[in-house]
Amino acid sequence: MKVRVDPEVCQGHTLCAMNAPDLFALRDEDGHAYAVDEEVPAGKEDLARDAARTCPEQAIVLS
Amino acid sequence: MSNDDPRDKPTISLDRHSPRYRLEFESLATEFHARCPVAWNDTHGGYWFANGNKELFDLARRADLLSNENDVDGTGRGYQGISIPSQSDQANRTRGGFLEMDPPDQRYYRQALNPYLSPAAVERWKPVIDELTRACLDEKIETGRIDFVDDLANIVPAVFTLAMLGMPLKDWDVYCEPVHAAVYTPPGTPDHARVIQLQMRMGMHMMEVMQGIRERPRPGLINELVTLKLGDRTPDDTEIAGVIMLIIGGGFDTTTALTAHSLEWLSEHPGERERLSRERDTLLDSATEEFLRFYTPAQGDGRTITQDCEVNGTEFREGERLWLSWAMANRDAKVFEDPHTIHLDRKGNRHSSFGLGIHRCIGSNVARAVFKSMLTAVLDRMPDFVCDPDGAVHYDTTGVINGMKHLPATFTPGKRLGAGLDETLERMQRICDEQRLAEPVTVRKARAKLRD
Repeated sequence: MKVRVDPEVCQGHTLCAMNAPDLFALRDEDGHAYAVDEEVPAGKEDLARDAARTCPEQAIVLS
Repeated sequence: MSNDDPRDKPTISLDRHSPRYRLEFESLATEFHARCPVAWNDTHGGYWFANGNKELFDLARRADLLSNENDVDGTGRGYQGISIPSQSDQANRTRGGFLEMDPPDQRYYRQALNPYLSPAAVERWKPVIDELTRACLDEKIETGRIDFVDDLANIVPAVFTLAMLGMPLKDWDVYCEPVHAAVYTPPGTPDHARVIQLQMRMGMHMMEVMQGIRERPRPGLINELVTLKLGDRTPDDTEIAGVIMLIIGGGFDTTTALTAHSLEWLSEHPGERERLSRERDTLLDSATEEFLRFYTPAQGDGRTITQDCEVNGTEFREGERLWLSWAMANRDAKVFEDPHTIHLDRKGNRHSSFGLGIHRCIGSNVARAVFKSMLTAVLDRMPDFVCDPDGAVHYDTTGVINGMKHLPATFTPGKRLGAGLDETLERMQRICDEQRLAEPVTVRKARAKLRD
């Protein structure tokens, strides 16, 4: 599974990093999120799906 | 609306500033979600009322169709900003900072201020926030009585907001009362004249501080604002004052409202309170988001439609007003199971309490940090608190902020841990100044140090 945060859609709600800190990090200057690694580690797929579901802007793209 | 409007519009008649909106909120939300998730509300001159979660999501993020502009000087499109109804004194309208602007100016402001308010920026302040909370609780801990609004939730957000602005901490009370009272004291009520007086004193103080920082720079949001370039434009004092008031208005009453309601609920649910305290490592984040969802301190925001368009089958026309009801969208059963009940461990809680789209609350990370500091300190130091239902005072109407004026409580007295509030404010002021804590995170990365 691959994961990315669409920077055009993310508004810095921070819920992804709150729910899945291993998968998402926040930029110091504005708190907007990015995926720590494009590849979701084995066993963390459900966590990635939960984070995507929790994003208020629906900015997380799984593929 | 006139009879020549050919559109078939599901129409409601809901005065958001009436007690009915507050008292019947849950049944109204359920009814609207089923019948008219985007309704034409024929009160206050008529406006669209988006309340369904999906419908609100699809509208709120359409910066291409919506404007926040409050055209106070008549040089724009004449739009009325984010308040519905519009400000009553049209001749003396004030713009609510960049929340009543569109890009690119709105974006310039946010880019400049984000490095003061991001999670990394706020994290640096945590020792200061916790110390302010401690001092507030120490003022009351030996008595066994506290008003969670007056003695805690009004003070910590106010002092900390001033700290980030670069204002003198000791002057927090110049701002606290007028900012809260203005929300629940509309024109025509007996106390209004007094509130206006307090607001004038606050405005003068703010202009003096702004001028002082122009002459002798000190770090903080105000320093950023007085040195800011918006493209090739420099904002004047009136515009900057509007931005400072946006930060103060956004930073004070909302966090107070969230904290008071949460503590009231925890008093009514002591089992859940014990569970939250015991399992806070796993529950504190989800509980915070759930309180945010359920109580939605800022109930909604207005917009103006910028072009004739159709979204999800609703035809909108340029110039029409739209209310984005974050509060009702947060109770939509299609997204939130058992929406009218608080579940501290709720999963997938994509609430819209900080708004959606490009105007997402810029202070959301501040709100969470300050709330969590106050909540956990109360759980630790006053674990058996009982709020007095007869003394609790909710805002009469919640058309703008779902707030509380008072929340008295009793608890088993405890021991003080340190100095009182005034002495603590002096010490925190020294620490702010010496460590230049109010610099942006791009300049200063280190956490505040309270002891050598």
